[in-house]
Amino acid sequence: MSTARRVDPVEDYLATLTTSLHGPARAKAAMMREVRDGLVDAVEAQTRFGVPRAQAARRAVLDFGAADEIAPSFQRELTIAQTRRTARVAAVTVPVLVVCQLLVHVVARDPDWRLGALAVHLAAVATASGLLAVTALVVTGPLTRLLPTPHRLPSAVAWTASAAAVGMALAAVALGVTSALSTDWPLTAFAGVLAIAAHGVVAASARECRRCVRAGEGN
Amino acid sequence: MKADAVRGHLDAMLLAVLEPGPLHGYAVITAVQRRSGGVLELRTGTVYPALNRLERLGLLRSRRQPVSDRLRRCYELTEAGRRDLAGARSTWQEFTAAIDAVLGLTASARRVT
Repeated sequence: MSTARRVDPVEDYLATLTTSLHGPARAKAAMMREVRDGLVDAVEAQTRFGVPRAQAARRAVLDFGAADEIAPSFQRELTIAQTRRTARVAAVTVPVLVVCQLLVHVVARDPDWRLGALAVHLAAVATASGLLAVTALVVTGPLTRLLPTPHRLPSAVAWTASAAAVGMALAAVALGVTSALSTDWPLTAFAGVLAIAAHGVVAASARECRRCVRAGEGN
Repeated sequence: MKADAVRGHLDAMLLAVLEPGPLHGYAVITAVQRRSGGVLELRTGTVYPALNRLERLGLLRSRRQPVSDRLRRCYELTEAGRRDLAGARSTWQEFTAAIDAVLGLTASARRVT
């Protein structure tokens, strides 16, 4: 008995394109829904002229263009959407890093120089990440018609957000250790939990942004 | 005419076919083909990301609305889109006038030579 199954060219094409694209789930889903609608329309238009459905589906996919040739222009839009999302997440959570930095700085009044050095580094990471996030939001938002989006912007946002996520993880560890030794432990422990939560959100968004950048380079 | 020849003019053509009113993606593609008398071949897969980009630039806006019993993403021009289209038309007229003159397709150019 034959186990071969008939593959719908449209569904096969959509699956290939979906696999090759990365970006915000909602934006990607809207994009793929629109592509599906367009292909279904193209098939229906040809079947109305008497073309058999299978042939119409193959022709619609052919007219759409090879997935590997079409994917880069879709990916570019998704990468910019993800860059904006990561920049927004960084802009909102960087203040958490600043608060952690201040707490570490206050606690660092004791003789341990390592906490003081960590506070300085966290401040530097927070400043760089915050400034770049705001710049990315302005360049891809209000100024998008006036300035071309810099080619390296998504990569820069992805890596500074990754650095901010690492900073948040380090701050969480430092605040955890400090909580164990400090009399103000409820405050530092709360800040530590906040830093862990912020780390989770920023790290996930930065990781997706890096995937988008890699997908754009690979296409 | 091949898709490569269309590249560079795609944005203006998309804005132009949306000038009369909102259309969904496939209707935009067929409108370009119909207006060109079937001469222009669009690789349909290039149109959807271009519409997305024009929306991101604020030249189009989109919303889901029912078309033929299905909810479809329909695009329409914004005020910025109309201004951009007017600019693109003006630039194109200047460009084609200059090329016509060089190719000797205008009466004044033929008199000069």
